[in-house]
Amino acid sequence: MKILSKTRLENVFNKLNETAEVFVPMQRGEQSGFYPWQTFAAGSDKLWLEALNVYLPPKNVVFPQTERMYNIKQEGQDVKIDETYEDSKSRVIFGARACDVKGITCMDDVFLTRGYEDSFYKARRQATTIIANACYAPGIACFCSAMGVKYVDPEGADIIIRDIGDGYVWETITEKGEMLTARIADLLEEREVTLPEPKPFQQDVNYDGVAEKLKGMFEHPLWDKLSQTCQNCGICTYVCPSCYCFDIQVKMYGNEGYRFRCWDSCMYEEYTREAGGGNPRPASKERFRNRFLHKLEFFKERYGHPLCTGCGRCTVVCPAGISIVKIIDAVKEADTDA
Amino acid sequence: MKEITNKIKETATRLFKEGQVDIFMAWTKGDLPFQTKPYFARSVDDVDNIIFDEYSIHNLSGTLLKFRDGQEKIGIVVKGCDSRGVVRILEDNQFQRDRLYIVGVCCPGMKDPLVAMKNYSGFNNKNSAEGIAAKCLNCTTPNPVIYDEIIGEEQPPHLQGERFEQVNALENMSYDERYKFWADTFSTCIRCYACRQVCPACNCRTCIFDEMKPQWVGRENNSTDNMMYHLVKAYHMAGRCIECGECERVCPVNIPLMLINRKLVKDVNELFGSYEAGMKYEEGAKPALSVYNVNDPDNFL
Ligand code: SF4
Ligand code: SF4
Ligand code: SF4
Ligand code: SF4
Ligand code: SF4
Repeated sequence: MKILSKTRLENVFNKLNETAEVFVPMQRGEQSGFYPWQTFAAGSDKLWLEALNVYLPPKNVVFPQTERMYNIKQEGQDVKIDETYEDSKSRVIFGARACDVKGITCMDDVFLTRGYEDSFYKARRQATTIIANACYAPGIACFCSAMGVKYVDPEGADIIIRDIGDGYVWETITEKGEMLTARIADLLEEREVTLPEPKPFQQDVNYDGVAEKLKGMFEHPLWDKLSQTCQNCGICTYVCPSCYCFDIQVKMYGNEGYRFRCWDSCMYEEYTREAGGGNPRPASKERFRNRFLHKLEFFKERYGHPLCTGCGRCTVVCPAGISIVKIIDAVKEADTDA
Repeated sequence: MKEITNKIKETATRLFKEGQVDIFMAWTKGDLPFQTKPYFARSVDDVDNIIFDEYSIHNLSGTLLKFRDGQEKIGIVVKGCDSRGVVRILEDNQFQRDRLYIVGVCCPGMKDPLVAMKNYSGFNNKNSAEGIAAKCLNCTTPNPVIYDEIIGEEQPPHLQGERFEQVNALENMSYDERYKFWADTFSTCIRCYACRQVCPACNCRTCIFDEMKPQWVGRENNSTDNMMYHLVKAYHMAGRCIECGECERVCPVNIPLMLINRKLVKDVNELFGSYEAGMKYEEGAKPALSVYNVNDPDNFL
């Protein structure tokens, strides 16, 4: 087996960093997330591959919160688009968990399939190599396997690493992965190890039949009840590895400016506000319902799997203690005969 | 706490039976020991789910706004900070006093379920201390300032030490240092607007940050727009923030929002004071910056 010793991690990052921007999980001050290795500050940052997971998922690597799309110049009656910003710089995500890799493959479905390819996403995505960090000990909020995610054998990764204490088993999956492995091959060693035994999940979630049942539940009174305490704060959507909603906006300075896209959230009133001022989702309940129907029903209908990857983040950060796990339970238990 | 819970339940039961309320806002227990969360009882049958414990920190007053256009009569349990939120909302004419039945609880100081949840989840940033929450350690008003009935023994202010210590430290920085401090701090804001959504003082029907025509504040996540967001929000909070600390508590990336809010409290006091927002409800009373006075200082203009 190929093994990367933990003592050589930094050498690997440095080597990869020569040709790509390498995003690694770090504790940075009060925050944790995937940050570029070249910004690592030894004193204040802590490299944190051992974390169950970091707080902010790596989705911004392929789908940045703000992304400039093109420049605009107005010349008389004409509008000229004078530069587009498709970004195909090489990037590496090092150590993403299975749920977060799944988040990215969900975005692949959205941005790259069904007849339309989003060129901005595609440019970034094709130039990104994903190294997934297999999970052997799910945390209290994790339920990815219930959502069809293979936590020990992450799908969608180019390389999988497995923590064996003093190092990582290094398993190359795709061609893209092979190219990366070739660059650091001399930093790997060859030795036989036994892999750890995966620990069980700490909570039981059963998603079977939920998408189908939800089809008939748009008007169900349960949404009133469940949404009452939601404050539409949007945290849940911004920390989610798979939420991909965005808005396209423009900034003009006189005759010149640019268009950009930025994350948006179905939790906001403005998200569905129409040009004439009407709003099909005027109140908190409709927005709340949309979030869960999108995650648990619509997405599955269209792409065959849910848009929740079971990472548990939203259940940890919600100020109102709202949990998608409880929503799934409530849907399962709901009486739909009436 | 058991005793307080029982009294709250008794009151809620009575109010429902007498038909005095349609909704009773309090807290209930989640699955994990520290997961206390907001709960709205709708009938006597729901009352048993109500709990008041050391994690009942969530300020319910902001959620009143969800019901501002309705007719429901609402019972609401408030701690000191929450009660000031209620005053704020009444002062801004967002709710009629006679639609509310306010049950005040003298607050011994709370723990933060979000901190506990983050610590146990394995996602945690820093293992923050799990004792009394930061917002409560700075609390000047643990006893409700508005209520129809009150439960518990009056509590002394929990704030120990100098209220504006950190603000003073910031004021003593050089201009460049301070600019760098805030630029660094705001650069990490993810602009989720949770700090606005939980705030009882943020009660505008259409928030300036949601206005599109014209769009006053850009939606890019960069230092200019992030800084604009926080500057504009700060100005809107001057004389209005009741220091409940909810914004800072819920912020998913730990932006020290109370530093800004305390600076505002200090400045409003020095320039227009003495004034503390939401300390007492008088019909028609307006917060310091909502009234014009020819003697208002303008030397900072
Ligand atoms: S984090 Fe919780 S309160 Fe905030 S929008 Fe999501 S579900 Fe609602
Ligand atoms: S909905 Fe929640 S649990 Fe599911 S992927 Fe998003 S943040 Fe994770
Ligand atoms: S801020 Fe004060 S009143 Fe509010 S929960 Fe903390 S101690 Fe209680
Ligand atoms: S809650 Fe925090 S991250 Fe969200 S907008 Fe406010 S300061 Fe920014
Ligand atoms: S700004 Fe923060 S501390 Fe002030 S009232 Fe709003 S939520 Fe409370």
